[in-house]
Formats: sequence, structure tokens, C-alpha cells
Amino acid sequence: MSYPKIDKYSYLETPLHQFDPRAKIISLIVLIFSFAFISEIIIAITAVIFSILLVIISRIPLSFVTKCLKFPAFFVFTIIIVMAFTVEGNIIVDLKYLNVTNQGVELGALIFLRALAALMIAFLLLSTSKFDEIIKAMYMLKIPNVMVQVISFSYRYIFVLIDELSTLRTAMYARGFKFKLDMYSFSAIGNMIGMLLIKSYDRGERVYRSMIARGYTGNPNLFVTFSMNRNDYLISTILLIFALIVQIIPVIS
Amino acid sequence: MHISDGVLSEPVIAAGWIITIILIFVTFRIRMKEVDIVEEIPKFSIMTAAFFVASLIHLPIGPTSVHPILNGLIGVILGPIAYASMFVGLILQALLFQHGGITTIGVNALMVGIPAIIVYYIFKGGYGKGISLKLLAVICGGLAIAMSAVLLVVVLVSTGQDFYGLAQVAFVAHLPLIVIEGILTGAIVAYIARVKPELLPMKLKIKEDLK
Repeated sequence: MSYPKIDKYSYLETPLHQFDPRAKIISLIVLIFSFAFISEIIIAITAVIFSILLVIISRIPLSFVTKCLKFPAFFVFTIIIVMAFTVEGNIIVDLKYLNVTNQGVELGALIFLRALAALMIAFLLLSTSKFDEIIKAMYMLKIPNVMVQVISFSYRYIFVLIDELSTLRTAMYARGFKFKLDMYSFSAIGNMIGMLLIKSYDRGERVYRSMIARGYTGNPNLFVTFSMNRNDYLISTILLIFALIVQIIPVIS
Repeated sequence: MHISDGVLSEPVIAAGWIITIILIFVTFRIRMKEVDIVEEIPKFSIMTAAFFVASLIHLPIGPTSVHPILNGLIGVILGPIAYASMFVGLILQALLFQHGGITTIGVNALMVGIPAIIVYYIFKGGYGKGISLKLLAVICGGLAIAMSAVLLVVVLVSTGQDFYGLAQVAFVAHLPLIVIEGILTGAIVAYIARVKPELLPMKLKIKEDLK
């Protein structure tokens, strides 16, 4: 079990890292929504190039980018393959029962490119900012208070509970457990997850008491403020205009 | 079970977000009548984190490995508010691991969340009718995934005719998960019933159930 390490390089100092978190959330999410609905392959390729440029600007090491994105990208890639065989249309490769069609490859490629562009932008959202900053920005953007608090507490306890689960696993394997496809293994894994849930339930009780003792009222306390400067306006304008262009071009032409 | 960005059409994405926001609002409202929000936030968050961590466990099966979704279990333990829990889980998954997508969080939440709510009522009702606890948990765990797979097909097919084939492949890929999740949910619920029965939504009747 390993911790989520997405914000490993959030300490770098590039224009994207110093970008105001509120403006970052809004512009990147608009960009993701815009990329997800691109209708032509050429524009989708441009969007992928644009995303790659942003990743380069962020100066996050290539090895880290590929490590984070290879599984999600591979998962989307399987869609191309399925689409190539299942969509009906002009047959380009004839394999008796399975046919590769022109339309299938095109649609699959479009989906893959859209997904890849959106994936890189989503990756940048958290890899260039600390989670705390994102949470504070979410409060300031008036996302419902309960939702933001639940997200931030859950995030914090993920690390604690990964430790807890690792301990349970170590204990199991130390006693000679080996995972096999039989009822015994499933029941052992079930017991382990059950124990994790029970420990978490008890921990919730303790955390609740300690928070009450410290005066928790259900409202967040914010001690920082962000301020937008010229650079923030400039970057968000560029990103938003690109998001708009991607959607407008097919309509005009 | 996650659909990535870029696969679905605009109306499907919009419908997913609208249904998700309404359901979260309604389930939260109902829950808030029963408990104090100050007490609910920390406890609910920790259970959400626990389910998130549980879904990180990879079980090597055949040439690949699967990770449990456990939406049936989350429904059984948390009740209707499980929907919000899975919504938060999906947000964290999209942000921390880039699994699933950002635009599709609404649709993905709908696919796992609605079965979780239904299963909760089946679990409570079935136990009232005297079905054995473990059998009921196995059914609920499997049924939740089966319903999710059906919803996945509905979502893909309503995006366009070109997605029929993808929907079929995705549905077949989920069939083994129904068995795995059923067995796993059965084991977890049986364990919880033995060790900490107050985690379950109803009072257990007799000692017989605990075997």
C-alpha cells in the first residue's frame, strides 16, 4: 500500500504553481469540460499538444508524469480497441468474425485524445498545488461547507487508514497468509476489511470527541486569504480563451 | 466502473450531475433530521476514507487484478447517505489518482450510488423477513454490482448507437465482479455482525445469525 503522492512536486515555483488556486480550479475545470466535448480529431490533437505544453511549463519531471498517467491512459486506450471492433461502418480489416471499421477507429481515437487531454489537465490541478490550498479555495468559491469539510477530512484520514490497513496486512502475511482463489482467502480479506471499518468507526467516535473538546462547531476557520495579481488574470484569460476557441471553431467552420 | 472524460455526450453528463446533486441534497437533508451535523461530519468523513482505502486493495485474480468497489457494503452500512460518501470517494479518486474523470463524476456517482441506496432497503427489509444475515449480505453485494453494470450499459447506450459494442464488453467484464463482491460483502458483514453489530443498520435478533 502506498500513499497518494500526486502533490509530490507542488513545491516547485513555476507560473502554474503560483497561479491563484481559485482561478486555477475554475480555469482548469472549464478547460476539462471543454476538452471532453471536442468534436473533431484535429482540434483534439491541438488540445493534447496544449496540455503537453502546460505540463512542460509546470516543470514536473517526465518520469513522475508517466508514472501517474500510464494506468489511466492505458485504461482509456482499451476503449479505442473495443470501439475499433464494435462500431459498424466501412470495414478496413476483415478478420472473419471481428471487423475493424473506419468509423470505429476514428471515434475511438477521438475519445482517446479527448480523454488524454482532459487527463493531463486534471493531473495538473492537484500536482501543481497543495491539497490545503485547493480546499481553502473551494471554501472561498462557496462550494457547500459540509461538502468541502467532508472532502478535506476524508483526504486526511486516507493516510492514517492506509497505515492502519498496512498493519493489518503485515499481521496477516506474517501469519503465513497467501491469497488464493478460494473461500478461505476471501473470508480472510473480508475479515481484514471488516476490521478496518470497525477501527475506523471507533476512531470516528474519538476524533469527534476530541474535535468537540477543542471547540469545533461545524464551521471552517480560514486564516489565509488569496489575492489575484496580474499574472493570475493573464493565465486564466489564456486558459479560458483556449477553452472557448476549442468549442467555437467547429461551429464557425 | 469508472467512465473517463471524453466518452459520454453532453446530455448524459448533464443528467448525471443533476441527478447526483439532487440525490445528495435530499439524502443529506433526511440524515440531518436524525443527527447533529457537528457529529456527522467527522464520523462520516472517516467512514468515507475507510471505504476509499478498502477499494485500494488489489486482489490478483487470473492474469489481472481487481479492486473491490463495495458499493453494496457502503449502502448497507451507511444507508442512503452512502451516495454522498461515494461521490466524495470519486472526487478524491479523480484528483489523487486520475481514475475516472472530472466531468463524469456525476454519472459515476449515479452508477454506484443508486444501487447502494436500493440495496440498503433490501437488506433491512430482507432481514425483517427472516432471511439469514450472511446470505442477505452476499445477495446485496452481488446485486449492487449487477445493478451498477446495468446502469453502465444504460449510460453508454444513451450516449449513442456506436456504444452498443462497448456496453456489451463492459457488461461482460463486470460479471465476475458480481460473484467476488457478493462473497466479499458476505464475509465482511458476517465479521461485523460478530465483532461490532452496532455498525449494521438494525438490531440483530438472535445469536444464530452470528455463526
